[in-house]
Amino acid sequence: MKESVRFVVNGDPVEVLVEPGATLLECLRQDLGLTGSKQGCDKGDCGACTVLLDGRAVLACLVLARSVEGRRVTTVEGLAEAGRLHPLQEAFDTQGAAQCGFCTPGMLMSACALIEENDQPSRQDVREALSGNLCRCTGYTKILDAVVKAAGEVHQARAAPKGGGKP
Amino acid sequence: MTGRRPVGPAGPGPGSGEGAAFSVIGKRNRKVDGRRKVTGQSIFTDDLQPARLLHGKILRSPHAHARIRSIDTRRAAAHPGVHAVITGRDLPVAYGIIPWTRDEYPLAIDKVLYVGDGVAAVAADDERTAEAALALIEIDYQVLPAVLTVEDALAHPENQVNTFSAKGNVSKQVRLTFGDVEGGLAGAEVVVEDTWFHAGSTHAAIEPHCAVGDLGADGILTVHSSTQVPHYLHRELSRVLELPIDRIRVIQPAVGGGFGGKSEPFDLEFAVAKLSCLTGRPVKILYTREEVFAAHRGRHPMLMTYQVGARRDGMLTAVKARILIDGGAHSSFGLVTTYYSGQLLGAPYRLPAYEFDSTRVFTNKPSCGPKRGHGSVQPRFAFECALDMLAERVALDPIELRRRNVLGADTRTVNEFRVTSNGFLECLAGVERASGWKEKFRQLPFGRGVGVAGSTYISGTNYPIYPNEMPQSAVQLKVDRSGRVTVFAGVSDIGQGCDSVLAYIVAEELGVALDSIRVVTADTDLTPVDLGAYSSRITFMAGNAAIAACAGVKRRIQDAMAQAWSVPPGQVRLADGFATAPGTPSHAVPIAEAFQAAEARFGTLGGVGSYNTPKDVHGSYRGATIGASPAYSFSAHVAEVEVDDQTGQVRVKKIWVAHDCGRALNPMLVEGQMEGSAAMGFGEALFEEQPYDERGLHRGPSLLDYPLATTLDTPELESIIVESGDREGPYGAKEAGEGPLHPSIPAIANAIHDAVGVRLTRLPFLPPRVLAALETRRQAGLSWKGRR
Amino acid sequence: MLPLPPIRYLAPKRLRDALELLEQGGRGRTAPDGDGAQRRGPVLPIAGGTDLVPNLKHRLLDVELLVDLTRIEEPHLRGVREVAGHLHVGALTSLAAAAADPLLRQRHPTLAGAYRQIGSPQLRNMGTVGGNLCLDTRCTYFNQTAFWRAALGHCLKRKGTTCHVVPGARGCVAACSSDGAALLTALGAEARVEGVAGDRWIPVESLLQSEGRRHLALLPGELVTELRVPAAPPGRRAAYEKLRMREAIDFPVLSVAAVADLAPGGACRSLRVVVSALSARPRVVTGLGDLVEGRPLDDAALERVAAQAYRQCHPLANMTADPAWRRAMVPVLVRRALRRAMEAR
Ligand SMILES: Cc1cc2nc3c(=O)[nH]c(=O)nc-3n(C[C@H](O)[C@H](O)[C@H](O)COP(=O)(O)OP(=O)(O)OC[C@H]3O[C@@H](n4cnc5c(N)ncnc54)[C@H](O)[C@@H]3O)c2cc1C
Ligand code: SF4
Ligand code: FES
Ligand code: FES
Repeated sequence: MKESVRFVVNGDPVEVLVEPGATLLECLRQDLGLTGSKQGCDKGDCGACTVLLDGRAVLACLVLARSVEGRRVTTVEGLAEAGRLHPLQEAFDTQGAAQCGFCTPGMLMSACALIEENDQPSRQDVREALSGNLCRCTGYTKILDAVVKAAGEVHQARAAPKGGGKP
Repeated sequence: MTGRRPVGPAGPGPGSGEGAAFSVIGKRNRKVDGRRKVTGQSIFTDDLQPARLLHGKILRSPHAHARIRSIDTRRAAAHPGVHAVITGRDLPVAYGIIPWTRDEYPLAIDKVLYVGDGVAAVAADDERTAEAALALIEIDYQVLPAVLTVEDALAHPENQVNTFSAKGNVSKQVRLTFGDVEGGLAGAEVVVEDTWFHAGSTHAAIEPHCAVGDLGADGILTVHSSTQVPHYLHRELSRVLELPIDRIRVIQPAVGGGFGGKSEPFDLEFAVAKLSCLTGRPVKILYTREEVFAAHRGRHPMLMTYQVGARRDGMLTAVKARILIDGGAHSSFGLVTTYYSGQLLGAPYRLPAYEFDSTRVFTNKPSCGPKRGHGSVQPRFAFECALDMLAERVALDPIELRRRNVLGADTRTVNEFRVTSNGFLECLAGVERASGWKEKFRQLPFGRGVGVAGSTYISGTNYPIYPNEMPQSAVQLKVDRSGRVTVFAGVSDIGQGCDSVLAYIVAEELGVALDSIRVVTADTDLTPVDLGAYSSRITFMAGNAAIAACAGVKRRIQDAMAQAWSVPPGQVRLADGFATAPGTPSHAVPIAEAFQAAEARFGTLGGVGSYNTPKDVHGSYRGATIGASPAYSFSAHVAEVEVDDQTGQVRVKKIWVAHDCGRALNPMLVEGQMEGSAAMGFGEALFEEQPYDERGLHRGPSLLDYPLATTLDTPELESIIVESGDREGPYGAKEAGEGPLHPSIPAIANAIHDAVGVRLTRLPFLPPRVLAALETRRQAGLSWKGRR
Repeated sequence: MLPLPPIRYLAPKRLRDALELLEQGGRGRTAPDGDGAQRRGPVLPIAGGTDLVPNLKHRLLDVELLVDLTRIEEPHLRGVREVAGHLHVGALTSLAAAAADPLLRQRHPTLAGAYRQIGSPQLRNMGTVGGNLCLDTRCTYFNQTAFWRAALGHCLKRKGTTCHVVPGARGCVAACSSDGAALLTALGAEARVEGVAGDRWIPVESLLQSEGRRHLALLPGELVTELRVPAAPPGRRAAYEKLRMREAIDFPVLSVAAVADLAPGGACRSLRVVVSALSARPRVVTGLGDLVEGRPLDDAALERVAAQAYRQCHPLANMTADPAWRRAMVPVLVRRALRRAMEAR
């Protein structure tokens, strides 16, 4: 029997009817049509399904949809604001960090959680923060480049006086 | 950190801008699909959710080898929410990617050949219902002895794994001799001989295979699939479903990584097609990760014995190889694999005499097939380790030994392949310099070391999988009066970026801004045939086709503007969104206006171009065509490692990767291929293995037990692009997607030797193996770098 | 996809309600539901779900109702506090929060460090300290899909009659794979166990049992609500060594926790060495007192301890990593842990 769950996804309040055994990943992809979050293993091993739950990176394939009642979920679809790419997205694109792009949404969300906390990460910090996201295409080099670059931009924007710089 | 060190002027190659500066080519441009990928907008097969979608599941064999006595699907069919159930009898046509070895059925008919072999499929309202229905299918199996090792397979031909096989369990045997091998070995002053084992590996793309079949009311069956060979899938669907090929449309959405793992048809594609035909509704099947391991088609385990003879000065005299290949249950590409295991060793060194004897056998395990560096990664591992041993024996620096034996450009290999451009020497020099080799080799303290290895790979196979004289690749252009160009091509972008490469080429040729190019690919209704994403063929072949397609359009635009400006057509330049006549500043119009002028004069603009390979690039002996390519890439790596002599754990600190890709049409994409390849080779060297138990059960079919290296394990990678400029490649380009995987493994093996003095011959280099080798050394009382 | 089995789900806000639901389930009684329907079946607590959800997807256990603990509001289940010199860590504290907690990092940096080595960042954000301690035992023949286990033949742990690791064994020897468990045992930590009937503190060492099927000494319906790590005396030296394939994600294939207390002069007052990822229960290496107490922990002492651990620890084929190699690694890790402990502070 389906039950209702209400939460906020990418800023929008939603109410969805789900099976109690549905995961957040199923709910996002199938019920809400937010297919940006990917499924690579469905059991916690790959990180492709990473989303932010109240700002923290979690694996949507291991989260019960019912358990996000009242909480805030951010997916890759929520990263760009008003059609403007997030600095991470821009950097992934210009640095060639997305090859097949299947790990990319999860990578972006893990990187986003990192940058929210620390916008001056070392390369090692980035490696740590992305260590739960497997990529089979890139060898990670360009992903690390992109995150370091984006963090630098976010840091500058934050340091800049109000009104100046990019968001 | 990446460096780009072009050597000399890149050769001409087809394509405009000879000598002139390029506007698009060679620049770090975005990918055409990049912004969709970083926003989650790219649509992968599992993202498709058509209305009335049914979900399918495949029932799989729990036995490695068994006869199917009976299947009863009645209870499953009667289960609420189930719409159709099929078994092997519903699809009784054998198929196989190679037309000479059609030895598999979409679903098993009489016999299952490995754990995970599909036997029946269900379409239901949702996945849970489909899964519940599978449990209701009753199968009576008669379990047969499972053949799990190469030795067992050869010793017991009566336990035949694949009944299509003409000869017991032998899938293919190739023996070829070039030159006086016995004389070369007898005359050698040093002969290195050893046996190496590559355990095989699997692609493990992060996207699991997925397909959606949809029979429309118009009788057209559309199959969306995460395939990297839409054209071959199209043909096989038509054969197996016994539907006219013009009634079938294959579309490849975005693919989440392939690496060869999606380069032949799989049971799910036939199943969704059939189930949709039966139900009249769209049907989707998405593999679980465990099913991806069963589908496999990964790197073959190979047991390889090499004898390498040389003179005291390090010059090779002869090479002799004997190779046993574990093929799994089906042929897959195995005929080609067996040839490749020997044929692709002919470069980058000059082999005066060469012989290989390769035998592929069937076993009751998931079928092996092509994985990135198909057929040649394993021999390359063995051979480059042998060269390292040889260098040690003749007391030469291993880079110097390689340098002395370099094959060179514009020549033929011992097995008669035509080699055009060759930047191998520059690759060696590049990694030698960048890695600080001279200060490191044999000079780092015990436990740390560097190793080198080289390699070569094909830029496409010279012949298609099924014999035909038609082009291997074609491109069609729609040139619009708005200034937009749409490129139609059959190519498969699986992340390597070929859609973007076509856009770069067309933008360069027609002077259009990149944003004005649309690329439509891999849709058999809309796009001209390309054979698919395998053997690193697309940049070379589709790239040339794109240049050819642009030529006529470009000429018409130039003619139209030449007339308008009263200048010779050759003076009209199309670049950066403008048509200009350099030297006359007033002669400059936005490209759209030039298109309009041409359209007004010549009618609707469009163009087609195609590419086919030259036919004089190989010998005439039987098998001479397999492994022949219009051009070869070259690579050299240096790896630096740290070995923990207490635990046996190896850490690779860094790999310097030099690769001759002919010309980098976009250095960012080339580096991406180099880094991804080197990292994949690194994983094979240290982590990846697929053990099967005595019943043929994969010991860990998951991404937890099959460990893909994480960010914390993967070494730092430094790319050094070498541009030798191939005269037949588009702008001089060759391949970059597979070659740079090869040297990773032997470079790491050789670095481990430099670090601690042990030669590892069995992959992967797991800590227990490293430790055991160290122990053997210790017991022999040998010291290394002053340490016992 | 690996769908979860049909379940019901409740997320009570009060500990009492959670305990009642669990207690009724534990006794096989009817678990009440909002619709008042009468259902029967196992009731399980779920915290971060990072262990339970994959296990349910693999159909490793039966469940009718999941009781989500993460909405429980009682404060003692969350965060790190100091009470009478001891550190209390709420069972629902996430591994990430524990690893980053200033108090924990100051008082027991090794424990914070061990938590930081668990899984991946996402798993540490989700996984809890309580769930980590209660983590089900793991085995290469068991932590597989339903299809895989059926193909192999079921084992003692569920539905079967034999053990694939130790044929003929009467018990299950699946491995304790929790990075927290070994170190908590070595630190002499205690767990607060609450049930409808009451509340008790038991040493982690006795909470963890040697039978892989019931590796926790919990009564049906009981929960671990907090941990108490006793104050570290001056002269405390501790270290945790984890052996694994990859630098992230992977469970330990062997782990060693060492906790030494030194007298002001450097002589060893007490030493606890715990080796884990062997079978269901972390192994406390015995007989160390005679080997080291009253003497400095010098190289010779390290060797004695390492040899003692080697004699007592026998890794099994319950994971794919070679047991002979893992055994050979016991003394290596013990030495490293002790060296690292002696270097710390
Ligand atoms: C890919 C992967 C890698 C991992 N790597 C590691 C690793 O390296 N090291 C490691 O230690 N763990 C690892 N884990 C396991 C797990 O993530 C952590 O141990 C985590 O802390 C478990 O906590 P949880 O809250 O998610 O537990 P849950 O899954 O919620 O619960 C685990 C078990 O404990 C029970 N339980 C939960 N809370 C309580 C309580 N308060 N009282 C009584 N019973 C309770 C549950 O019923 C369940 O049986 C890994 C998991 C995955 C999927
Ligand atoms: S140790 Fe034996 S009984 Fe326990 S899970 Fe493994 S195989 Fe089953
Ligand atoms: S899909 Fe969630 S971790 Fe792989
Ligand atoms: S880009 Fe393909 S998996 Fe990361």
